[in-house]
Amino acid sequence: MSDNNEKYPDWKNDFPISQSETTSVTRRQFAKFLCLVSGGLATGSAFVAAKSVLSPDKKIKGAHRVCSITELPVGGTRSFVLEGSTTPYILIHLENGEFKAYEQKCTHLSCAVFYKPGSGKIECPCHNGWFDAMTGEVLQGPPPRPLPRLDVQVKGNDIFVAAAKEEA
Amino acid sequence: MSTFRRAQSQAHPNKTSTLMLAIIVLLILNVTIQIWLLYSGLNNALAHNSGIAFPAFIASLVIFIINCWLLYYLPRSRQ
Ligand code: FES
Repeated sequence: MSDNNEKYPDWKNDFPISQSETTSVTRRQFAKFLCLVSGGLATGSAFVAAKSVLSPDKKIKGAHRVCSITELPVGGTRSFVLEGSTTPYILIHLENGEFKAYEQKCTHLSCAVFYKPGSGKIECPCHNGWFDAMTGEVLQGPPPRPLPRLDVQVKGNDIFVAAAKEEA
Repeated sequence: MSTFRRAQSQAHPNKTSTLMLAIIVLLILNVTIQIWLLYSGLNNALAHNSGIAFPAFIASLVIFIINCWLLYYLPRSRQ
């Protein structure tokens, strides 16, 4: 060891690995790591598949009262949650007199969305996503899917929401 | 036991190096496909097209098995 110290700098004694060995070891490890990532992705896909098969999301049953008509002026919005769930919804009184209800969760990364009065559009401030307030369709921006919609029924003076009927 | 292994271990380092690189490129390609499968499976599941998620998982699993099988052909490290 002592004459080694003469020949080699200190750092080579501290890391006694030859050059060729280092390159081949790291590439092997990299390949194994890629395989590990691949296993992780397969597991992730398994979770997605299991979740979509085992727990299809529950339907809202029946109609729920949100508020009365007088509480919601034209262009106004009101957020609400349904009993027994934590999903936020938003009820909108459009300028043309219609009421619309959507999930108040952007389909991109779940930010809260807001109705922009007078524009007929719902805005997601997080990444400048826009939805059509009439249909919930995406107008622009990163959201991949339309906003989930609820059916709104006006009975007398009260506004009720119910699960949206499946469209063909 | 006479497999590819002995010939592989005797091959010139340039050859094994190329082989190593080829395997890594294949692995990266496969992982990219898996990312795409996971992404489209998840997005379709969220959009209530649950029919995509299961085939995507099967494909992802098959690719994972192929990746493990590829690792077997990684050149041994030199002594
Ligand atoms: S979270 Fe709404 S646009 Fe990104």
